[in-house]
Amino acid sequence: MSISPAKADHHGSDDNKFQIYIQIAMLLAVLTGVEIVGIFLPFPTWVIVTALVVLSAVKFLYVIFFFMHLRWDKAFCTILFFIGLMLAGGTVWALLAIFGAKDSIPLTSISSATTVVANYLAV
Amino acid sequence: MSPPSSPIFRASNNPIMDATVKTNLIAKDDHAAPTRASVFWRPTSKTGLVSWLTTVDHKRIGFLYGIFALFFFLVGGAEALLIRLQLAVPNNDLLTAQQYNELFTMHGTTMIFLAVMPLSAAFFNFIMPLQIGARDVAFPRLNAFSLWTFVAGAIIINLGWFMKEGAPDAGWFGYAPLTSKTYSPDHSIDMWVMGLQLLGVASIAASLNFIVTIINMRAPGMTMMRLPVFTWMTLFTAFLIVLAFPAITIALVELMMDRLFHTNFFEVSNGGLPILWQHLFWVFGHPEVYILILPAMGIVSEILPTFSRKPLFGYPIVVFSGASIGFLGFAVWSHHMFTTGMGTVATAAFALATMAIAVPTGVKIFNWIGTLWGGHLQMRTPMMFALGFIWMFMMGGFSGIMHAAAPADAQQQDSYFVIAHFHYVLIGGSLFGLLAGIHYWFPLMFGRRVSEFWGKLSFWVVFVGFNATFFPMHFLGLNGMPRRTFTYDANLGWNTPNFLATIGAMILGVGIGIYFSVMIYTFFKGERIKKDPWDARTLEWSLPTPPPEYNFAVTPTVHARDAYWYEKHHKEEIAKEKAVHAKEDEAHGGIHMPFASIYPFVTSVGILVASIGIAVMDPGHKLVVALVGGVIMLAGIFLWAHEGNEGYHIRPDKEDLNS
Amino acid sequence: MSSTSATIDHHHDHTTTTGIPNKKLVMWAFLASDCMFFGCLIATHLIYRLHPPPGSPNPKDIFSIELTSFSTFILLMSSLMMALAVNAIQKGNIKSMRWSLLTTIFFGAIFLGCQVYEFQHFVHVYHLTITNSMLGTTFYTLTGTHGTHVAIGVFWLILMYVRSFQPKNTAADRGWFWRGLLHIAAICGAVLFSIFAVIGLTHTLQAGEGFTAFLGHDFGLVIGLVATLGLSMFLARPRGQVAFDQANAIDVESMGLYWHFVDIVWIVIFTAVYLLEYL
Repeated sequence: MSISPAKADHHGSDDNKFQIYIQIAMLLAVLTGVEIVGIFLPFPTWVIVTALVVLSAVKFLYVIFFFMHLRWDKAFCTILFFIGLMLAGGTVWALLAIFGAKDSIPLTSISSATTVVANYLAV
Repeated sequence: MSPPSSPIFRASNNPIMDATVKTNLIAKDDHAAPTRASVFWRPTSKTGLVSWLTTVDHKRIGFLYGIFALFFFLVGGAEALLIRLQLAVPNNDLLTAQQYNELFTMHGTTMIFLAVMPLSAAFFNFIMPLQIGARDVAFPRLNAFSLWTFVAGAIIINLGWFMKEGAPDAGWFGYAPLTSKTYSPDHSIDMWVMGLQLLGVASIAASLNFIVTIINMRAPGMTMMRLPVFTWMTLFTAFLIVLAFPAITIALVELMMDRLFHTNFFEVSNGGLPILWQHLFWVFGHPEVYILILPAMGIVSEILPTFSRKPLFGYPIVVFSGASIGFLGFAVWSHHMFTTGMGTVATAAFALATMAIAVPTGVKIFNWIGTLWGGHLQMRTPMMFALGFIWMFMMGGFSGIMHAAAPADAQQQDSYFVIAHFHYVLIGGSLFGLLAGIHYWFPLMFGRRVSEFWGKLSFWVVFVGFNATFFPMHFLGLNGMPRRTFTYDANLGWNTPNFLATIGAMILGVGIGIYFSVMIYTFFKGERIKKDPWDARTLEWSLPTPPPEYNFAVTPTVHARDAYWYEKHHKEEIAKEKAVHAKEDEAHGGIHMPFASIYPFVTSVGILVASIGIAVMDPGHKLVVALVGGVIMLAGIFLWAHEGNEGYHIRPDKEDLNS
Repeated sequence: MSSTSATIDHHHDHTTTTGIPNKKLVMWAFLASDCMFFGCLIATHLIYRLHPPPGSPNPKDIFSIELTSFSTFILLMSSLMMALAVNAIQKGNIKSMRWSLLTTIFFGAIFLGCQVYEFQHFVHVYHLTITNSMLGTTFYTLTGTHGTHVAIGVFWLILMYVRSFQPKNTAADRGWFWRGLLHIAAICGAVLFSIFAVIGLTHTLQAGEGFTAFLGHDFGLVIGLVATLGLSMFLARPRGQVAFDQANAIDVESMGLYWHFVDIVWIVIFTAVYLLEYL
């Protein structure tokens, strides 16, 4: 099998990779630090939640595209993984939506009978 | 060519021995696989029990899946007949309520997990690699592991029949809190849980193998859009399995933790929500029914073109519909839960999604009709089953669409209407497709053709019996007869349909009996045929019947969809290519074959022992047995990893090279 | 053609239709499946956090954000070391790969240690058990399943590390495997001795005494440390050619994919289980 030199260069030189990995690790550490500090900051809940989700997603994507090499691999690997990821995400979202609905609130966590009836009628 | 030595049974005038020796499934080429000087024992015999326990050949593994599946199909059928006998007349006392509960639970579990799924797996294993021009699957030992773990799961699930606790009795869907320790204190449910977990492991491992095989081991020129539709459906089914089984794995883990360690997943007194079980189960359960039907749809998509003497109508649309059905199948699970009070929004959303999924299914049916239209139809037995599939599956689809309307479902839920629906799609759909496939590919696998008369007779008796059994159930359901009840009173208007259904079940039993007898007879004494008896279109038919161990003497180059049809009509071009490739293979030293291995079997044995420890043993002995099993399993995995994946080389038979 | 090529292209396998190595493809398919697995488990936990029954323990009172942040950081660093190990073996640098694997194992073990400590703490100090509340059930099951995945990974890493010492001629050196296990045991011993030695030294210094006093108190620990370090280095000295080179990079790479996946699952768990509770 002949290897064209062009192919090897395609994903950056090897020393470059080493540097990239170190830099990303530092970035991940910094992002984690930001998350931890952020939860104690006096912003509205929805702002913090969005920020946490975004930061976690960024860390997630850096690990899969760089550490797990998807950036340099054939696109099919990415597609394959994202099928599973999207399906899992969609299922989690749907389950939370169903269980979060008014009709699904367990009676034990509602304080009074009048609340139960009011919820039922407010459909 | 030397005759194969030592068949499974010792030499005698035993006709079984004779047939297994002559079927050539066991050993066509007695090329001695060279032993390697190494620490590891390389099984080299081609016949005998050990050769079956250590085989990594996808064709043998497929055959074993088929044998086990057909055996358990008969077991499940016997369970069904007992159910029907009990319900033949009102207030019957043939069975107690407890026995009845065990029977309908095991009938469902057996038919779904131990009959239809492994029968589909038999075809995935045997046929798919041949259709893509490969010599085996990507990971042959993992393939063997899947088979033996399936057997282990089948054993665990059925152990209860032989023990005082009896078989599992909480339905094939095991709703919480009925399956909790409080309401099911003995080990029958533990065995159900562990058995299903093992079956899940087996299915996922096999499906990972099939995905990699189809994506990565196609012959040159076999682009994705030239794949036979059966291979496409194998791919989609494999995706469904790897993505859906984790949900039931988690549900079963949570149930097992409740039962063994007193956690609170479904324990109401501590905040548990039993409805969560239903959700997790059906997140798996709905894709599962598409896992059951897609292979049959794939088989039908092969049979119709062959016996219409036309290519499949609308190939890209049929493929795309298969993908859509698979994908949408994950979005509809709560249509099994319309009556659980999820709220208007959730109910409406799932009803809409369920109606949507009928569209790609309908599209497929139109494409099958388009394939038949204007074709030169040959009404052979496989074609009869395939046509029966189209019609019967449609009827099942109609009752399914009726369920999709949530208000109507409020009456139909838990009634015999549901039983009618799913038996129409499962028997009229899946089973007809699989029975068609057995007839269709029998000549390829065993080199013998099934008699047309007896094949068609078995079809008609099955067809009549099946409809007689399940058509009345639509009316029983609409008239309010509930599922899963062991008897009924005489004054509810249900007597006649129930009696008719039982008669139908007897006829169906006779039909299946004829079918099986014909198959067994043909296996031993059927008319021998040479290659390609149906003048078919796909690559598996380019092989001798039965295929040699190495599949293709020369890896084919694919030029078009319906690759073998192209080969038959461009003989010179193909002959030239073959000569070139044959020379290349010679230069490599021949065809590379994987060594057989005992370690997948050992690993599965370890898993079986560990599962018995967890599910069957009493608390005093659980840990010890589980640990022993764990050690055996780890030893199996360790030695499997260390023996490496070398192989040996063989040369194809001269006659294969020139055919 | 089995001609030996000067360099192996680690990103293109010419024997497969797509060019993706089979082992890599199967691992990605498995990880897609594992997404659904953890998705359902995470969903269970979050569902039960939507409407906790009255009297449920409050995670905010129980969780220690410092400990969890530390273990998150450790796991991220282990991910880095894993990537470096794969990078090293792809260049044929076995020594570097072995060091990176060892560090990965080390960090993975620290993560597990933190988790064990966390569980102990929650059970004994906050009386949160897997049976006495919904929070306990879902929390321990979810993080415990993740921890099991980490443990399997550590086990696999150790075996891969030992495998990298397999000599080309196993017939002549049959004891290599047990020697490898002994080498690992010696490393574990060295780590434990050094931990206790550092603790001992800290206590001595805090008590105002000097280094000589430390040696007097904990001489045994120092001897143990030196002995185990010496033994581990002795057992790992080069003995001739090993049957481990660039061709094995694919196995290290697939293992790396598994290890990174365990890390990204933790990223999700850290956010969804721990951080969200603080809002």
